[in-house]
Amino acid sequence: MQRITIDPITRLEGHGKIEIFLDPEGEVAETYFQIPELRGFERFCVGRPVEEMPILTNRICGVCPEAHHMAAAKAADAVYHVDPPPAAKKLRELLYSAFYVTDHATHFYALGGPDFIMGPNAPVAERNILGVIHKVGLEIGGKVIQARKCGHAVVEMIGGRKVHPCTAIPGGLTKGITEEQRQEIEQMGRWAIDFAQFSLKLFDDIVLKNSDYLDMILDDAFTHRTYYMGMVDEFNHVNFYDGQISIVAPDGERIGKYVPREYPDWIAERVEPWTYLKFPYLKKIGWKGLVDGKDSGVYCATPLSRLNAADGMATPLAQEEYERFYVTFLQGESDQYTTTWQGKVVHHHLATHWARLIELLYAAERWVQLATDPEITSDKFRAIPTEKPTEGVGIVEAPRGTLTHHYWTDERGILTRVNLIVGTTNNYARMSMSIKKAAQKLIHGGTIVTEGLLNQIEMAFRAYDPCFGCATHSLPGQMPLEVSIRDANGTVVECLSQYVK
Amino acid sequence: MKTLILGLGNPILGDDSAGLKVAEIIRRRMTLDPSIEVSEDYAGGLRLMERMIGYDQVIIVDAICTGIWPAGSVLCLNPDDVPTQHTASTHDVNLPTALQLAATLNLKMPKRIRIIAIEAENVLDFSEHCSPAVTLALSHAAEAVLAELQ
Repeated sequence: MQRITIDPITRLEGHGKIEIFLDPEGEVAETYFQIPELRGFERFCVGRPVEEMPILTNRICGVCPEAHHMAAAKAADAVYHVDPPPAAKKLRELLYSAFYVTDHATHFYALGGPDFIMGPNAPVAERNILGVIHKVGLEIGGKVIQARKCGHAVVEMIGGRKVHPCTAIPGGLTKGITEEQRQEIEQMGRWAIDFAQFSLKLFDDIVLKNSDYLDMILDDAFTHRTYYMGMVDEFNHVNFYDGQISIVAPDGERIGKYVPREYPDWIAERVEPWTYLKFPYLKKIGWKGLVDGKDSGVYCATPLSRLNAADGMATPLAQEEYERFYVTFLQGESDQYTTTWQGKVVHHHLATHWARLIELLYAAERWVQLATDPEITSDKFRAIPTEKPTEGVGIVEAPRGTLTHHYWTDERGILTRVNLIVGTTNNYARMSMSIKKAAQKLIHGGTIVTEGLLNQIEMAFRAYDPCFGCATHSLPGQMPLEVSIRDANGTVVECLSQYVK
Repeated sequence: MKTLILGLGNPILGDDSAGLKVAEIIRRRMTLDPSIEVSEDYAGGLRLMERMIGYDQVIIVDAICTGIWPAGSVLCLNPDDVPTQHTASTHDVNLPTALQLAATLNLKMPKRIRIIAIEAENVLDFSEHCSPAVTLALSHAAEAVLAELQ
């Protein structure tokens, strides 16, 4: 059996490792995607006051501290049985919307997007934000930096710090915003809407109008018929901060919705011997292995899944894009959804990049909606907890998937147990399937394994915007992409590499 | 000369906090010229590049995992010396790419960037403490930072 190793994935933060085993005919026999796990977080938390969790958990990961801050604050609200006042919820969601704009923009222009904008066969050195600037124009670089700057400014105004916000506490926030700050936030939000529309236009021009790219999005190698998960509001519109979790089957049927405290009825975790990371799956459907279909509990939690699990977007411009998205992919079949979009579903995984830009637009519009809400400058931004603390669950949609925090405390509010299901982990099973499917499609007996080919396998899973780096950000001495092909005896017969000195 | 000493790291991830601890040592124990700012951050790539805008010189202190040097080794590097560093906490590009982007966009970047890196032993277990080898190296790294100042 031959063995191909991709280690680590370029431009994926963290230290993921893909191993592809080939059979004697050179066909893909099995693929394994392994991730080293950060250890001991639960042990680290037990014995600490629950109100520390919003500032502790946002240290788990430097990528989405805002998501952990919000999920932890909501879980701490639940532990103390306190409902934050409307202004506090709106301020939290406003911060979160600005964060989404920054995060999604960074992914599109610096991480996932270059594969499309530059093309999967472009040299590695060009598939980055510099290549994007070279191709699209200098002004786009300035816009990306500006989008990040605006997002960081809002996070700092409401969250108290540019990185690692620290103002969310059980029952609300430690501070509000002034009218002057509100005006500044509104102005930046309006700019963000323009930026999101510009980004969608760019996607239209470069990706959707290029038949090669469109064919690749529609390719079966990048298609999975799994369940989809996403948070929705009372109208079944996408919401990132609050609501119920909607689950939609591969045929588009909504099989149910759950509130945060019900997550143990819906989600279970599967342990496999070859990896430390657990595979979450839908408990009501059951674990049938790494396969898709209605009988398999494998689900997806990404921008694409959020669009599939909802019936629409809560803001007008994003709703227009939402409809265009489904009309494009469902083609003639979209006519049946003219009154409601319930029941529709898109399985093309690479469409996630488009879905992410639709969410970018929604986040920007929501930013302005909240910034112009009369209550947003209210000084009623905290309800003092009066109940005895017990147990609570908080859920938000992190950019990389549904994020669940579950805390148990004693009667003093001291943590006795912690359970987290983080965004990317939701997608672990589906990511593993994506890698195998792409490898099976692209690697055959006679095919020479080229860099572009390997990158297409990586593309399959970069669309998930995965992040396993969580906290570690030490500088590694090198970041090699090494591919070794082994024969049946384990002897290396060929080596391919990039980024290796 | 407007100078920034920037400790990078995660305060609750063992040796990854080395850069933050060095910054703390410098702030508490050493007398510096008022033109020198000492700060902590978490970021690499774009975020780190954005943080450095407007300074003349920046000394970054961070943990490094080369696997080549013994834990606690202190290395003095230029950004180009670690061409494939990926600064994994960020949803981000690597630092050399971010610096090229800054140059392309004509952003005011420091003329001089040095990296003081401390070889880490454990960056996978949550802890507020560094390993013994890295703890012993912290003062040495702080001195290396001061020696780099111009």
